[in-house]
Amino acid sequence: MKNSNREIIKIKVNGTWAEYEIGRDVEPSETLSHLLRERLGLTGVKLACDQGACGACTVILNGKAVLSCMMLAVEADECEVMTIEGLEADDSVVKAFAEQCEPGYGTAMQCGYCTPGFVMTAKAMLNENPKPTREEIEYGLSGNICRCGCYPAITKAVQNAAEGTREDK
Amino acid sequence: MKQGYQQRTARKHVGTYKPKIDGRVKANGKAEFLDDLTLGIQYPGLLYSRVLRSPLPHARIRSMNTKKAEESPGVHLVLRYDDPEMLALKPTTNAWTSYNTVSYEKMYWPSYRDRKVLDDMARWVGDEVGAFVVAESEEIAELALSLIEIDWEELDFVLDPKEAMKKEAPVIHPEINPEGNIMLPEDVCGGDVYRERGDIEKGFHEADEIVEVCSDYHFADHGCLDTRGCLMEWKDDELTCLTNLYQADQTRMFISQMLEIPLNKVRVICPYVGGSFGRGNTGDQCYYIYTAIAARRTGRPIKMKYTRYEDFHDTRNGIEWYGKVGAKKDGTITACYFKGIGDSGAYCEHTIAALKFMTGFEIDECMLAHIPNMKMEAYAVYTNKIPSSCKRGIGNNQFNMTLFLAVDLLAEKLSIDPLEMTMKNFGHEWEKLPNESVCGVLREGAKRIGWENRLATNEGPLIDGCRKKGLGFSLHNGWHTAWQEKPRGMVQLGLKLNPDLSVILEATMAETGCGSNSCAVWSCAEHLDFLGIAPDQIKWIEKADTDTGHKDMVQTDSAVSFLHAELMPDMAEKLKKKILAMASTEMEKPVDQLAIKGGMVCSTVDPQIKKSIRDILWNDTLVPIHLVVEKMPPLEITGVPFEATFAEVEVDVETGWVEVTKLVQLSDCGTVMYASGAEAQTIGGQAMGLGEALTEEIVYDPATGIPLNFNWIDYWIPTMLDMPEIEGVPMEVWKGAGEYGACGIGESVTTCTCRAITSAIYNATGALVNSTPFKPEKVLAALDKINSVNDEGEKETEK
Repeated sequence: MKNSNREIIKIKVNGTWAEYEIGRDVEPSETLSHLLRERLGLTGVKLACDQGACGACTVILNGKAVLSCMMLAVEADECEVMTIEGLEADDSVVKAFAEQCEPGYGTAMQCGYCTPGFVMTAKAMLNENPKPTREEIEYGLSGNICRCGCYPAITKAVQNAAEGTREDK
Repeated sequence: MKQGYQQRTARKHVGTYKPKIDGRVKANGKAEFLDDLTLGIQYPGLLYSRVLRSPLPHARIRSMNTKKAEESPGVHLVLRYDDPEMLALKPTTNAWTSYNTVSYEKMYWPSYRDRKVLDDMARWVGDEVGAFVVAESEEIAELALSLIEIDWEELDFVLDPKEAMKKEAPVIHPEINPEGNIMLPEDVCGGDVYRERGDIEKGFHEADEIVEVCSDYHFADHGCLDTRGCLMEWKDDELTCLTNLYQADQTRMFISQMLEIPLNKVRVICPYVGGSFGRGNTGDQCYYIYTAIAARRTGRPIKMKYTRYEDFHDTRNGIEWYGKVGAKKDGTITACYFKGIGDSGAYCEHTIAALKFMTGFEIDECMLAHIPNMKMEAYAVYTNKIPSSCKRGIGNNQFNMTLFLAVDLLAEKLSIDPLEMTMKNFGHEWEKLPNESVCGVLREGAKRIGWENRLATNEGPLIDGCRKKGLGFSLHNGWHTAWQEKPRGMVQLGLKLNPDLSVILEATMAETGCGSNSCAVWSCAEHLDFLGIAPDQIKWIEKADTDTGHKDMVQTDSAVSFLHAELMPDMAEKLKKKILAMASTEMEKPVDQLAIKGGMVCSTVDPQIKKSIRDILWNDTLVPIHLVVEKMPPLEITGVPFEATFAEVEVDVETGWVEVTKLVQLSDCGTVMYASGAEAQTIGGQAMGLGEALTEEIVYDPATGIPLNFNWIDYWIPTMLDMPEIEGVPMEVWKGAGEYGACGIGESVTTCTCRAITSAIYNATGALVNSTPFKPEKVLAALDKINSVNDEGEKETEK
């Protein structure tokens, strides 16, 4: 958006639109993850590889899961961005990850650094496909790395979240 | 729904299936890690930094011009190697300690203080040398680094440990050993031959079959999502350090002694840590020192955080083990000889421990003790590569590859089931064979993987014209029981009972993911059951802080799952006494006529007289009860439990592709402290082991000494799609001393995975693949070897 000789971008973050002046509020070379974390303090966005290989920085942009370390903040002009901070307090996916302890699978996280990224990827996937099969979950979340190796429990948590959604409906 | 394990002793909280205590804050993104506590918007005046990393594998800085960098806008300081303050610093290591707090004088490997903070000598591509730049942003610091002009004196380099052992090889640490790159014997582990008993020549003479085997294990990286870093801030002469290496007290000791400032002027805070897997054992990092010095000079807080490239550091030790093992016809092993060469990379760190301590002391006394004739010999060697130091299961994974290769081959030669042979020979020093725990994990694993269907080597049918199926296994001893934790010293625990009966649990530790904070809370709830409270009324203090906490429970090994719990009975007794004393005054009854149950204090004389604990505490003063317990872990030597992994694989004999179709991991925990956590460890350990077995590998360019894949695009960490079916099975067979008599399992769960997989590859195809990772080219080469041997055989027959 051109405004006299100032260039301003407008992003809706977690439900609220805000304007950012390029050069003052955001740099042209600044990644979306940097804007969200360092300037807006949304630390649920995690940075682990900073090269699009691990999914820890996943946010939802116009309904789709994106890697916020791999796009510039200015590319999000006129977009709606949702970070984990924007989810409802009783979000069903968050709850399913937090509470997974069904015998045979372990917990859905250990250190928890990758968890917000998995949750956001799963959210976006469930929005498009509310009843994924196990294979669809595994494929859909294969861009995220959990070094603690909690993959079976993560799959279980997403299945539980999906079933919970079905029951609600 | 799957069947969980059955508790040997029924308990209300300990050993049950529950969500993690921090599950919610981790799932909703509110758990705060180092990066989340060190934003510029939280720290006015925060500066950022970058250290110079050597582009050359072996070189000395002749001279360095930092003028352009210093004058670059936004640069606050360029700290140089030739700064008098840097030159005055003591030589150090990145590995003073493992699980205890030690001083400079008593650090592990004192004869290998081979690091200088900001050295002028680079010993690997990526070595931190020469200059540390502090600037308004990381980008400015990075740019300033590129403006530094360096006149390098390039030196010959060596990457291969066997080449490095040769006389003509360039000497990497002449200040440690002017003669060469082999690390000389030292006091902790002894000489080159560090373990010897019986007479191996006699033992081999008595054997009916002897095998000679060799295997090598690569440098595998921890790959923690949370890259290493710190923030240093001075207020007058007091330094605060935020860090994501998990040891608060040791870091304080390290900084205090390196900078020569009193312990009470250094405050170290460890928040949640995003993974560790052994990296914290190299917790005494030089970056603390130069960042602290730079923060004092600039008068501003400074953040130092590794990039993903930089976080490839202090990895698993690359070790090649040769083994010669002999056995009688009935499978009894008569003699073993092992010789190891450990590639330590550019610095010593914990490679000597990985080679000698783990095998000669831990594995030998815990698993090989009944073998009458034994000799172990090993050499740690410097090379111009990434320093290798300590990763989950240090030293054990590498040795396991050779030991059980020998078992597999001997069993085959003797026509014995390798499981039978394992039960016949392996057990700890303090118990007769067969060991109950060894038999327990092996029999359970055999049942779950379908071992009775295992065919002889290469006897299975060809599936779809190209694949063959096989089964394999490996066994390892647990090594984190209470008695093995003696060097930790006193364990400290604090507890505050508020007048409303809510509890603040001062079980000081950084949570790295292994769930010991959950274990501490469950055991607290178990023993404070008399208060009539639920676990969610117990708050665990999430940061280790040297100013306010007790001695921290260093997350160096998985004994952290039970060490606090072993103090809880004492804590509960103390608390009961205190409450009864208060009740006695309040109720005007003698203490010996009062009892506590379910949140009530009752008279033992007249059951009608009772008062709730809450009413007793909710008095005029409202002072919380604050108690501290300090105690050694139970030290009675009770041996160790065992763990095993079973693998089912399919090998494509045309492409060499290995697909692991099932892994079963069985861990005898003694007592399971937290069922969901133990399952997460056993399953997660397989994910890590699978990566080390099949895909992960650091690749070097031999011509330049440059590492080619310090990134996560080319260093392949398994994802969900790579996972086979995994059964993680916590068990309770053995029991140690103390209230729980548990054993940590977090390390051993990764130990057997590689060996079990390659054992299954051999069973499927007859291909001996003894070098990790088992990539298709290696499998194909091993298959070619069998085919060429067969061809030779056929030609012989034709003749």
